[in-house]
Amino acid sequence: MKITFPHMGNLFIPLKVLFDILEIDYAVPSLSRCKFEEGIAHSPEFACLPFKITLGDLLDGIEQGADHILYGGGCGQCRFGYYADLHEAILKSAGYDVTMIRLDSSNMTFQELMGKLKPFTEGKSKARLVRGILSAVNTVLMADRLSKTAAWIRCREQQKGDTDKVMRRFNQRIIKAKGYKEIKQLIHSARKQLRSIPVDLEFKPLKVAIVGEIYTSIDPFVNMEMESKLGSLGVEVHNHLTISSWVIDHGIKKVLPLKLKNKAHERGKELFDTDDIGGHGLQTVGNAILSAQKGFDGVIHTYPFTCLPEIVAQCSFGEIQDQYGIPIMTLIIDELTGKAGYETRIEAFVDMLERRRQLELQKTMREAF
Amino acid sequence: MTKIGLPKALFYYQHSAVWEGFFRNLGCEVIVSGDTNKEILDRGVRCCSNDTCLPVKVFHGHVDILKGNVDYVFIPRYTCLINREYTCPKFCGLPEMTYLNLDKQVRLLEISLNVETGHMEAAKGLKTVSKSLDLDYRAAEEAFQNALRELEQGYKKCENSFGEPVAKERDRKRQTLAVLGHPYMIYDKYLSMKLLEKLRSRNISIVTPADLEYQTKRRHAVPYQEKVFWEVGLDNLGSAFVFAGSENIDGIIYLTPFACGVDSFVIEFIERRLKSDYTVPFLKLTVDEHTGEAGFDTRLEAFLDMIG
Repeated sequence: MKITFPHMGNLFIPLKVLFDILEIDYAVPSLSRCKFEEGIAHSPEFACLPFKITLGDLLDGIEQGADHILYGGGCGQCRFGYYADLHEAILKSAGYDVTMIRLDSSNMTFQELMGKLKPFTEGKSKARLVRGILSAVNTVLMADRLSKTAAWIRCREQQKGDTDKVMRRFNQRIIKAKGYKEIKQLIHSARKQLRSIPVDLEFKPLKVAIVGEIYTSIDPFVNMEMESKLGSLGVEVHNHLTISSWVIDHGIKKVLPLKLKNKAHERGKELFDTDDIGGHGLQTVGNAILSAQKGFDGVIHTYPFTCLPEIVAQCSFGEIQDQYGIPIMTLIIDELTGKAGYETRIEAFVDMLERRRQLELQKTMREAF
Repeated sequence: MTKIGLPKALFYYQHSAVWEGFFRNLGCEVIVSGDTNKEILDRGVRCCSNDTCLPVKVFHGHVDILKGNVDYVFIPRYTCLINREYTCPKFCGLPEMTYLNLDKQVRLLEISLNVETGHMEAAKGLKTVSKSLDLDYRAAEEAFQNALRELEQGYKKCENSFGEPVAKERDRKRQTLAVLGHPYMIYDKYLSMKLLEKLRSRNISIVTPADLEYQTKRRHAVPYQEKVFWEVGLDNLGSAFVFAGSENIDGIIYLTPFACGVDSFVIEFIERRLKSDYTVPFLKLTVDEHTGEAGFDTRLEAFLDMIG
């Protein structure tokens, strides 16, 4: 029995830790997405990009010998909830014999969840299970902290490209690493290396927030390394959606009896008088407003072509720009997006933000003297 | 008398009678925008972002046309009309979407419909309605309860206001085609490029999901029989397999707007299962605001020639 799973940002790191501790055999799809084209060929034309990419991941994992697929998902108004079923149907008609283990966080009790995972947890002590889950959660927090550190250093580094070099080496090693200890060690050493990069502390970078659909905003392959592109232009990037926040929102908060509310989600209701517009739609709106209030210079909104909730969220940006005076640019990505045109738009946006900041500076200077 | 505008798009094709009745009961004059035409489409395209789907763009056009002639435009917010069946996210944000896209130049009335919370959210909308129309809140609530009952009954009985009755026995002289798609696509003559009329003029009888009973459709909606799914998706998914299994149906046509999120998944489920388990011919017709009618007709004619 070998298990595989689709990529989603750095989710593979905690999953590796979990499977290693539980001694489950697994296959990690390649980070370069070698089955990307094949995934697209099997997908419906108007499915959103994450669907096509994750299908490619599964094909990759199956080729590496996996016969079980672990899939997260939820119900609701976004197509993500139906990914697993359609993937299953497509894989079946393409002639692959695999078992889907579908974890539906919004529709399942804890007992049902454990029931589905039984083939993997059988014969393993509870202590080991708890240790596995806790280590995985700890790893995801560490991995997200590492990307945060990288984002802070990347825009301030004196030698351009240093941070990306460290992160690239880290990604190459982490995919081969085995066991909690080694992975922890790798994260620590990457952190150390990042901290030793000489930085210009005087430099005042522009601050840009990335909001939008979670898969495109956190996966560097999908968003064509937007974070490192922005960082190399001297922009401090804040990504409000991370795997750890996703795990906390959909896993931990669901288990706890308390009803904790997401701040950005609540804020989004300022413009949308409803509880849900599907996916992370309301969080997108809320995060854009919060970024403006926190004094960010700009917001980049990104989503895959045909994403339902984000199209609704996008309508509110004209209003947010007027009301809060923050520039927002929307980047829509699909499998045909050309990298050059995409980067030109990012560069133009950053240039505009820089000019805007200088004009404002001149204005305050004139008023002061 | 207060004039209430009802855009003839999206929900109108299923629930027009319910909402017209609701406002008439409250003593308002109801004005329905006309059939979709080029001007309405162009107006809608102008105020929406590019990748908004065609029916929503058209909806914006209808509201834009209405806004000058009425006191309020009514847009219900459908979240969940039947337990465990949801609408597309655009329906949940439709009132704000329209309001913001039209530069806040329109006065809206909005009522939320969500069965799962027992229509708790509707109270707020009803308060605004009763205040704007200068009515007692109780009267508004009573009219709303009546409207809900009608909505519910509409789902239980087989609604057949547009299609023709399903042929009980195979009519040897006439072909029968099933036309699937969102009601606001297949019954809108402009968006569907008069698909139904074109078929009828060739002496072909037509059946649509509206000809089947609610329970029948749900029972056949593989793989979502007991599970959570989109309401309109379940209708089409279930109908496709009912029609495919019937001897009276010669072919199935699915009319879909460009880049529809719900359809992209539903059609894939249908196509894969039709290919493996059934023999009925299937045609997918995609339309958007640039589709030329000639190309559309050619595809349709080729399909009709094929089924003979």
